[in-house]
Amino acid sequence: MFTYALRRMLWAMPTMLGVITACYLLLHATPGGPFDSEKQLSAATLANLDAKYHLSEPLWRQYLLYLNALIHGDLGASYRYVDWSVNDLVAKALPVSVGVGGASIPIALILGVSLGVAAAVRRDRWIDRFVMLLGNSGNVVPPFVLGPVLVWIFAIMLKTREGHGWLPAGGWGDGAWSHRLLPIALLVLINVSTIARVMRASMIDVLGSPFIRTARAKGLPPRIVVWRHALKPALMPVVSLLGAISISSITSAVVTESVFSLPGLGQLVVNGAINRDYTLVLGIVVLTTVAAVLFNLFVDLAYALLDPRIRY
Amino acid sequence: MTMMTTITLSPHVLRFSRNRTALLSCAILACVAFACFFGPVWLAQDPSRSDWAALSLPPTLLGGHWFGTDELGRDLFVRTLIGGRVSLEVGLLATLVACSIGVAYGACAGYFGGRIDALMMRVVDIMYAVPYMLIAILMMTLFGRAFYLVVLTISAFSWLDMARVVRGQTLSLRTREFVDAARSIGVSGPMIVVRHIVPNLIGVVVVYATVMAPGIVLTESVLSFLGLGVQEPMTSWGVLIEDGAQKLEAMPWLLLCPAAMLCATLYCIGFVGDALRDALDPREH
Amino acid sequence: MKASQGLAAALIAFVLTFSHSTFAVLVPAGIKLAAVQEITRQLPAEIESVDPAHIESWAANTVGLDIFEGLTRIDATGAIVPGVAQSWTRTGPDTWRFKLREDARWSDGRAVTADDFVYAWRRVVDPQTGSKYTILAEFVKNGKAIVAGRAAPAQLGVTAIDAHTLEVRTEAPAAFFPELAAMATMAPIPRHVVERERDGWTKAAHFVGNGAYLLADWQPNNRIVLLKNGRYWNASQVEIAKVTYVPIEDDTTALRMYEAGQFDYTYRIPSGLHGQVAQRYGNELRAGMQIATYYYSLDNRDPAFKDKRVRQALSMVLDRDLLTKRLLQAGEAPMYGLIAHGTKGASPFMPDWASWPMSKRVDYARELMRQAGYTDARPLTFTLTYNTNDLHKKVALFAMSEWRSKLGVQTKLENVEFKVLLRERHEGRIQASRDGWFVDYNDAMSYFDVLRCGSIQNDQHYCNPKVDEWVARANEQLDAAARTALLTRAHALAMEDYPMVPLFQYSADRLVKGYVGGYSPLNYVDQRASQDLYIVAH
Repeated sequence: MFTYALRRMLWAMPTMLGVITACYLLLHATPGGPFDSEKQLSAATLANLDAKYHLSEPLWRQYLLYLNALIHGDLGASYRYVDWSVNDLVAKALPVSVGVGGASIPIALILGVSLGVAAAVRRDRWIDRFVMLLGNSGNVVPPFVLGPVLVWIFAIMLKTREGHGWLPAGGWGDGAWSHRLLPIALLVLINVSTIARVMRASMIDVLGSPFIRTARAKGLPPRIVVWRHALKPALMPVVSLLGAISISSITSAVVTESVFSLPGLGQLVVNGAINRDYTLVLGIVVLTTVAAVLFNLFVDLAYALLDPRIRY
Repeated sequence: MTMMTTITLSPHVLRFSRNRTALLSCAILACVAFACFFGPVWLAQDPSRSDWAALSLPPTLLGGHWFGTDELGRDLFVRTLIGGRVSLEVGLLATLVACSIGVAYGACAGYFGGRIDALMMRVVDIMYAVPYMLIAILMMTLFGRAFYLVVLTISAFSWLDMARVVRGQTLSLRTREFVDAARSIGVSGPMIVVRHIVPNLIGVVVVYATVMAPGIVLTESVLSFLGLGVQEPMTSWGVLIEDGAQKLEAMPWLLLCPAAMLCATLYCIGFVGDALRDALDPREH
Repeated sequence: MKASQGLAAALIAFVLTFSHSTFAVLVPAGIKLAAVQEITRQLPAEIESVDPAHIESWAANTVGLDIFEGLTRIDATGAIVPGVAQSWTRTGPDTWRFKLREDARWSDGRAVTADDFVYAWRRVVDPQTGSKYTILAEFVKNGKAIVAGRAAPAQLGVTAIDAHTLEVRTEAPAAFFPELAAMATMAPIPRHVVERERDGWTKAAHFVGNGAYLLADWQPNNRIVLLKNGRYWNASQVEIAKVTYVPIEDDTTALRMYEAGQFDYTYRIPSGLHGQVAQRYGNELRAGMQIATYYYSLDNRDPAFKDKRVRQALSMVLDRDLLTKRLLQAGEAPMYGLIAHGTKGASPFMPDWASWPMSKRVDYARELMRQAGYTDARPLTFTLTYNTNDLHKKVALFAMSEWRSKLGVQTKLENVEFKVLLRERHEGRIQASRDGWFVDYNDAMSYFDVLRCGSIQNDQHYCNPKVDEWVARANEQLDAAARTALLTRAHALAMEDYPMVPLFQYSADRLVKGYVGGYSPLNYVDQRASQDLYIVAH
């Protein structure tokens, strides 16, 4: 297992190179450049900018320059936000995304698994129906509707004595808990439904398998059967999803970040793409790749923990 | 083998039909689909015609605007039906494409294991890390705005999750006794995947597909929001809802009517999915 | 409009004969100020920079004007008043002499001298700096050549006669130079700090500025905090002690945050909610105009639009009153020409057909189309491109509906991403597109960039040498009234060729809490310095 993990980490290098190259080419192939603006820049100004950012050099040279800087930990300068380097911007956005997305994952996991198991065990009874309804809601009501509804309830309907909203309607301020609660709640609601439904389906599958029948036949109490024996194999699909959900909650929570106007990575990468801020987008892609590789490794290692028959 | 599959068809259908919620959902879905595809033709109303005398009208049962009108005086009922056409088509097609690719990819990776698995999953890793929106912009601007491209763009990324889930399931399934049994009698690898692994995945796949479908419809609305989806004056539920959510306080019907249709449809898909899972479970007989 | 013309002339005259005086917050007698003078303002997007050489957006200019001060300044009503320069005279058609005040200081105590201006302006035009917004500095002699790399920055036409006298030579006669000097790009920068810190000189930790406020903290995409600069020459008149700028892109989120008490001052109102907002907030909804025009740009070289009659017909049948009063409802004003109300130096254009009843306009337009060869059997078809935005979508659908019902024109709508629109238009691949012009400085000359033959801003590829001639003649005039008359005529001449389809003038309606004083509806340039505001006790 250890050698497996090591091998996977080594794989990270070519993976990252692959991603960066792909994104680099895509960005430069997309029509529109960072300096296209409503008020046209003069040819002379464009020439100056090209010189400053090495844009007039052949693509492969620019690419190598970028890689060279990357190896030294320098993600480059942002084309649009002239006062900041990409390192600065990413460093400021990361705590926001992790603080909100990262916090929502464990909550969604615990809630989702509990609900899914309860529904599977009490199948076709009222709790099953209730869980399924709740589960479906999180998937069916779009986040850009759910978010404003949450805001409307907690920031506009409920007011403090001074007339301010009980919770802020948006923004990050100084990162206080009041600013984090609603976005975390939204992310939890979005993810709980997926986790609960998949958990339920998987648990029903496992509960019908021979070894569970054996355990029941041996006279083990139902609680032990479910939690000690059935849970681990049933968690497999949930764990598969967990990697993807974690990454997307942290790096791609665009809708949540735009509903609450949070200065996170999702907003940064979307604005970067819209503004054709090549270095900014690539910088975040590098970060996302590292996270993706790590998360997927953890997920695969978790598979081995959950199902002893899986061997690497 | 073939004998087993022909005999087991009817119990599936029987079990499905016993689930009343699922049957009701099917009926509702059929009504919605019928309304969306034939309703506008029957009503013979132009969805892009602006009634300048009736801007931003709330729903009125008499007077012709059942769902009210939007800020440009266009009838919301007809637009909701037209939007339904687009959303249902995109949702169905993209889900089918994403599922097919995802299941095939994930099952192969999980079954063959070793280096093939490693390589295939690294490709998935790479695709996860690339910002989705960038690909979407690029595809739409380079290749034009045809409807099938919207479907393609959405499926291009939706299959990843399915592949991961399927691969995980396959990894544990391939160590099972029946797979050993099949191998020992000489069934080839691909045959095992198709005949034995995939049927046992159906439960999770179907459930995850019904989890994916709403996500796909929502992705379509985000694309439209960014200017990459269906062009005005065509519309879709996602576009209508996104627009309505912006104007919730002022004109709640703009959100509620299409959202009700969307939610009803997606709920029904969910119930049907669950019933399908129960009905198709190869162990329950 | 005669009123604005008179006002413009009066202001210009006033400015030219100006002498020492302090202009700042004029708190009316009897108003009790709040104990805590803090304000939170919304910005529509994160700003690109606070470095004057890199400021290009309205938002960055707003913040820039709080932390730096140029020769002149825009006050609460939008008038040009002394800033670092206490007086100025126009000594020749293209020469200006600015007399700087002796008590202007940087926040670290050093005096602000004419050399600081020379250094700053040279830096803006220096190709090495890579500034994207050199348009203001290009008015100074040799500015264009320096930007193009054909001259050295030291050859810029600005000289420090002595520590407190600055002489500026302009490329062409520019009566509006004091307007330009008020913008953040033309602000002085602390040479000693820039040379010591290099690229990071704007960081809050060691920020040095000469404006009413200091940059205390900047968290990108989160907030910018400014604190009162005690060393500002007019600090005694500055009431607000702390300004927080919060960038929020989504108008509806901003409205909710205003409702929840997180802002005192928004940027604008979400489209379509104007009626509701007016009802709910009453006086807090401050109406205003922006000197900005919304129009449809038509590629005059395209076969569909080559014929002037077609362009005129398209413009004539649009019911702009319906559009602004019933559809958009945000206080916009119908526009029939490029130049907006409130612009100094020329009057807006009003064709005679604007007052005809719509039926007469439609008949006339149909006749024009028939003469141009388009009938119901052979309708005009073209593609209208706009970038993703609720407002643009509404206007496009409106225009499409009008053109179809009144002229039988088939319009295909194309919604593309903003950068793609810009690129395609620049490369001439677009027939008709949504366009807009926001003035960089309050003078009619800013518009003629769009109409001048061969100008890179001229998306219409319109060319009428006569118009350019009139403009050149107008700029040679020293008499403001004569210049205004000539520019108005030049504009009217251009508009009668119908190079584009003007639609409306943007409004600057926004929500500002009742306890915020000093907010004037007359500020058409919509540049509002925090030092002109104050918080009333509430």
